[in-house]
Amino acid sequence: METTRTVFEIISAFVLPALIVGFPVYGLIKKVPVYEVFVDGAKDGFKVAVTIIPYLVAILFAIGMFRASGAMDFMVEGLRPIFSWFGVPPEVLPMMIIRPLTGSGSAAIVLDMIQQFGEDSILVKMVATMFGSTETTFYVIAVYFGAVNVRKTRHAIPAGLIADGVSLILSVFVVRWLFG
Amino acid sequence: MLNYVWAGLIILSFVFGIAYDVRDLSKDTYRNGAAFDISLSTEGAFDEAMRRQNVTVHVSPNYYKSVYSSLGAPDSVFTGVIIRSADGIQLRFAEGAALPEPWSTIRHETSQRDNDMRGTMVFRDKTANSATASVTFGAVRFVKMHAIAAGAISMAETAVSLALGLIGVIALWMGLLKIAEASGLIHSVVRFTQPVFRPLFPEIPKDHPALGLIVLNLTANMLGLGNAATPLGIKAMEELQTLNPDPDTATNSMVMLLAMNTASVQLVPPVILVALMGLQINELIFAILIVTSISLVVAVTSARLLSKLKRYRTAPVDSASQSISTS
Repeated sequence: METTRTVFEIISAFVLPALIVGFPVYGLIKKVPVYEVFVDGAKDGFKVAVTIIPYLVAILFAIGMFRASGAMDFMVEGLRPIFSWFGVPPEVLPMMIIRPLTGSGSAAIVLDMIQQFGEDSILVKMVATMFGSTETTFYVIAVYFGAVNVRKTRHAIPAGLIADGVSLILSVFVVRWLFG
Repeated sequence: MLNYVWAGLIILSFVFGIAYDVRDLSKDTYRNGAAFDISLSTEGAFDEAMRRQNVTVHVSPNYYKSVYSSLGAPDSVFTGVIIRSADGIQLRFAEGAALPEPWSTIRHETSQRDNDMRGTMVFRDKTANSATASVTFGAVRFVKMHAIAAGAISMAETAVSLALGLIGVIALWMGLLKIAEASGLIHSVVRFTQPVFRPLFPEIPKDHPALGLIVLNLTANMLGLGNAATPLGIKAMEELQTLNPDPDTATNSMVMLLAMNTASVQLVPPVILVALMGLQINELIFAILIVTSISLVVAVTSARLLSKLKRYRTAPVDSASQSISTS
């Protein structure tokens, strides 16, 4: 496992510099006026970022309200019996609710649980696996669809949430299977 | 769907916020207006003529627990200052002192700017350098209402700084990708990967650059390069948008890309997680790999199946406009 990880880490460390250097070099070989073309493309950076703003504000302020309202505590209480029936420990429930909503919030939960239970705890392994294996679905949807001004997202939310839900629940069982 | 989820978040926040506040009011969680007994000591002597005087505040943890029926208790000794004015005496705890609930909430609500716990104080019994006194803290009501308003505003600001923070990376990748496009690199990626990926994105025409960008985006995701993945994904969305007959509505390919992104296979875990977990992350690589592989299959399947549902089917644009023109 250790060596596989090292290999992937080396690849990961080199991919970015390789692309950043490789694209212009390949362009030069193909006689593309690289500087001019780069600047031409980069012009869009500002426009794209500004286009995203309304979508991001809409999603994030709603999530900010939700987190501040304490609604999550109620939801954790309500879901506890259902999930414990499935064998999901109640300590990981807040993570399951917050993960698709905010990246920084779920990182805070991982940190919190490391401090509370210690790095070796199986609960920490569960939430860390959850964090590593899912994305902040609502953020991704806001940014990607926002960038092209798509407002009707059709089945993107349900598809994303189904995938998230499966990852979150699987994390519990896979970690228990590997470390329990 | 997003309409309902979004409105649901906002309405739920309000409803639960109200529920919390009503519960706090009925249980009188913050003991509004009630006096809290403490004892004080000072170096030298209590001097009525001094406007500000440093003091040491002694709080009995058991008394605190019984007053607030709380589980947590504060330290028994705090530094503070008493301030005498025409209106009476005010006691202020040192700024940023560690306080348990409900005191930390009272401080947050009544002294947001200075972050010091404060209340009006009356001496009950006083010797030269020690005394007992009662403090009445400011009344605290509607904590959650304040919190959701503040949460909404601060996250709106966060959203803008997040988006503006992306300008640099997006510009960098948009520039690089333009070079890659002009030099035919994207085209090579497309040709190389299309046997595998075309079936997942059947709407994309053969040899279209969108597929190349999708592949780059997914690769960046797999390698944990979140910074590069976002601009690549945005660029892929822009290419997909050029194929979109109805620019307001997501196409199947867009949803497929989103689903694959939310469930992308992780060969290298995200940087934040590595930072949080340190070496422990090594043990989890395999677990994350299993979970993400399965969830990728689930994501692809559900994106495909859901697109066939009646409510998510796209209205065929041409026939719709025709039927309007003929009727």
